[in-house]
Parts: sequence; structure tokens; C-alpha cells
Amino acid sequence: MLINEMIIDENGVAFIPSLGISFQINETAKEIIELLKEGKTKEEIVKILSEKYERDWREVYIDVEDFFIKLKVYGLIQ
Amino acid sequence: MKYVKPTINRVDFNLASKYGSPLKTQRIKNDIDGVNVKELTETFGSPLFVFSQRQIEEKYNEFKEAFSSRYPEVEFWWSYKTNYLDAICKVFHNLGSKAEVVSEFEYQKARHLGIEGKDIIFNGPYKPKEALKVAVEEGAKIHIDHWYEINDLEEIAEELGREIPVTIRCNMDTGVYPAWSRFGFNIDNGEAYDAVKRIFEGKKLILTGLHSHIGTFMLSTEAYKNETIKLIKLKNKIEEDFGFNIEYIDVGGGFASKNRLKGIYQPPEVIVPTPDEYAEAITNAIYEYNKGKLPKLYLETGRALIDEAGYLLTTVFASKRLPDGKKSYIVDAGVNLLYTAFWYNFEIFLDKRYEGLNEPSQINGPLCMNIDIINENIMLPPLDRGTVMTIWPVGAYNVTQWMQFIRYRPAVVLIDKDSNPHLIREKEDLSDIIRREKLPDYLK
Repeated sequence: MLINEMIIDENGVAFIPSLGISFQINETAKEIIELLKEGKTKEEIVKILSEKYERDWREVYIDVEDFFIKLKVYGLIQ
Repeated sequence: MKYVKPTINRVDFNLASKYGSPLKTQRIKNDIDGVNVKELTETFGSPLFVFSQRQIEEKYNEFKEAFSSRYPEVEFWWSYKTNYLDAICKVFHNLGSKAEVVSEFEYQKARHLGIEGKDIIFNGPYKPKEALKVAVEEGAKIHIDHWYEINDLEEIAEELGREIPVTIRCNMDTGVYPAWSRFGFNIDNGEAYDAVKRIFEGKKLILTGLHSHIGTFMLSTEAYKNETIKLIKLKNKIEEDFGFNIEYIDVGGGFASKNRLKGIYQPPEVIVPTPDEYAEAITNAIYEYNKGKLPKLYLETGRALIDEAGYLLTTVFASKRLPDGKKSYIVDAGVNLLYTAFWYNFEIFLDKRYEGLNEPSQINGPLCMNIDIINENIMLPPLDRGTVMTIWPVGAYNVTQWMQFIRYRPAVVLIDKDSNPHLIREKEDLSDIIRREKLPDYLK
């Protein structure tokens, strides 16, 4: 998965070296990508975020699902 | 720690410009004339049409000043079809506007509001004879659209035993495409002159005015100049040939609002003429070409006076990510409420600043129809359920051409000059829809 080679700087700019393309991401996106790199599943990521931010997991699930579709559109995950 | 929805956007360096990043710009409007949009939807429901009396009056006075400062006798006739809600019509009538109607229903609505027949112009290609007779009896100004109407009016004159003052509607080439040629009599090919001759020979009608309406959302002042010149030249000729005294010329309406037409690159601030520019073109043409006594000048402006005073508030109900990566927001107002969505790209404002970067999005209404798209390409930050969007300008034609479809039509509110909101049309309910329906006994 291309997401594993993503390099993220402190300004939220993410770079994929093999493609030479960049992305602008926010803090939550950064957290999700790091969890993905650790091999966490979508369900595990939802659980971690909803507990950390004390949010209804069902709401967080919609956001993470939405984010995953966008990662797929960019070809960063399968 | 505060939770923010995750966002990721491909960086396209071509998008950056000296005007800033489209990824961060948000258009925000959290009040209308000092009344919070969220509170409005909480009080009156969502979606909600909101009109600003302050903005109506400002625009009306701007047009009135532009014309009255250049010409001695100017009268405004409120175009009912643009927006015939009682309260809106009443605001215009209180400002001094008379009524311009195009059907027996609109005529009845103006009369119901207490407007006298003499203060109503009855326009349009379809005037059933009974409705026409009532209007004649009540002294309305009849603008004739076609030859059959001349016959109908002559019969009514005979039935009433008196002559009827009338105006003919004219059409012409004003140099813009498409020319509106299906209403009235054509000046260029001599038809309008022939109609006047026919009226003269019939001896039952007296011609007192000339009218034209050259189109809608007219961005060219030159077209109005050409229209006025042709009307005035016709006036001069028929006064000389037939001895009619033309009391007024009615140049119609069609002045553009600050809406953004689809397919037009430049913003309305650049291409829409000011009221002064329209007034200058029309009044100069009269002064230059008129012979004899100056006629009164009538205007039937609708859209330009009301469009920008109208807002539609709508609430985000849900969102989804489309397979191509675009975000789709489902809001509670559909295109059935926004007839003008088919040719305008509205301005869309958010009720507050949202965290996150803008991404390509589209706004869809609640109708289970693929065409229900309020904006197909808009950059929006991640929005929450319950976000209130303000769609603008929507004051013209939408609350007359809206369609009850699947859901009930929403309430309409008018905000007075002291920033007090007033309910001027209730939200519909089931009784409005089934009141006229009949279930045959055998189906019960």
C-alpha cells in the first residue's frame, strides 16, 4: 500500500516519494494514517479515535469510512 | 482534545494564486438583517425562504431614484408573477408600486389586496373573455397581445356600450438574441402599425399606450435604448396618422439582478448594468426621439427589485462520499423549490467557520431524483449534520414557480426594517394537498 511510504511534515503536507505527489492533510487524518501504518484495521481505528475524543463511535465510523473511500480514490490503499 | 473530521486533499500547485488558496476560503453568513439563520430555522423550520424588507426598499428606491431623477413621470408596476406573496406585493404597493398581472388569478390577487382596477395592468397572451370583461369594467389597463383580443375587446365594448382605452404590446429586434417575438405585434414588419390602424377603424377602442417587454435578465442597456426608440417612433407616427393620444409607454422589465448566470464567466458585479445605466439609456432615447408631449414612462420591473432580497435557508441532513471522491451533501431543500437553479449558480454561505480544508463537493436536495442538484461543483470544508446553508439570491420566481413534490413546501418569513421576522406563508401540511382530491365511492 502506497500509504506506507507517505512522509508527513509538521505542516500537514504529506508526500508520496514514488509518485512525486503531495497531499494536504489535517491532524485527524494524520492520526488515521499513522494507525494504518501500524497495521490497525478500520474498526480498530474507529474504536481508538472514539475513545480518545469521547465521541459516539457511530459518528466516527462514518467519518473514517468516508476517509477510507477518499484514500482509495487516490490509490493510497486497496 | 477537540475532534475534527479527517480530511485529505491532493495538493495541486496550479490552484494557488495571489488571491489565496481555494482550500481554505469559506463564505460565511450567519444572519439576515441581524437575525441569526440558525435561530430562524429553529423557529420557523427548515428549509425556509426569508425576505428582507430593508433590501426590497433599498433596491426599489435605487431604481426609483435612477428613473425619477431623469424623467418627470415614472410609474412602477409590480410584476406579480415574479413574486405574488401577499406580504411582498403589499411592501411594493406601500412603496408606491401599482400592479402588473398576467392572468385572471393574479388579477384577483391584486384586487384581493385592495388594488383598484385602474391601478392594474392586465398583460399576457391568455385573457379569457370573462376575465377580460371584469378587468375592463373595473377600469384596468388592458395590454393587447394578439388580433383575437382586439375582436374580444370590441365585443365587450359593444356589450358595455362604451369605448375602451387600450394599449398594444409590441415586439421588435433590439439587437439581442433571442428576440422575444411571440408576444404582441411586431414593429419591424409593420404589424404593430396595422394593429393600430385596425383599432382605429374598429371605432370601439381608443389607443392610449404602447408596451413592450424585450426579454429577461437583459444585460445590454443598448437593447433598451433600441426598444425605446422604436416605441417612440411608432408613437410619433400613430399620433400623427390617427390622432390617438399616447399617454404612456411601458418599456416592461427584464432588468438583471446580481445573480450568476450559468455559462457566463464574469461575475454579476462586472456585467450587470446599474439602475442608472438602464435609466440613462431609456430616458435619453425618449428625449431624443419624442415629438409632442412627453408620455408617462411605465416600468414593470420584477426580478431586479426582489431577487437579492430573497434567501433560502437549508440544513445539511447527511453526507456521503461518491465513488469519484467527491463529497455529496444532502440538504432539505430541493430544486422543486428552486426553479431558478436551472440557470443560476447561486451564492452559498455557511452559518459559521468549519475546521478542515475545502474539498470538491456537491449539494443535493432531498428529492429521490438524480436531477436534484443545487450546486454540482463547490469547494466546501467538512460540514456537520445540522449545518445551515444560505442560498442567495432566490427572491424572484422561486416562490411562484416552486412545485409541491414529495415533501411539503416550506414556510416563508419576511424580516421587517426593525429586524423582526414575520411568518408570511405557513409551511404546507397534508390538508393542503388532499383538500381538492376526491376519492370515488367505489374505491373507498
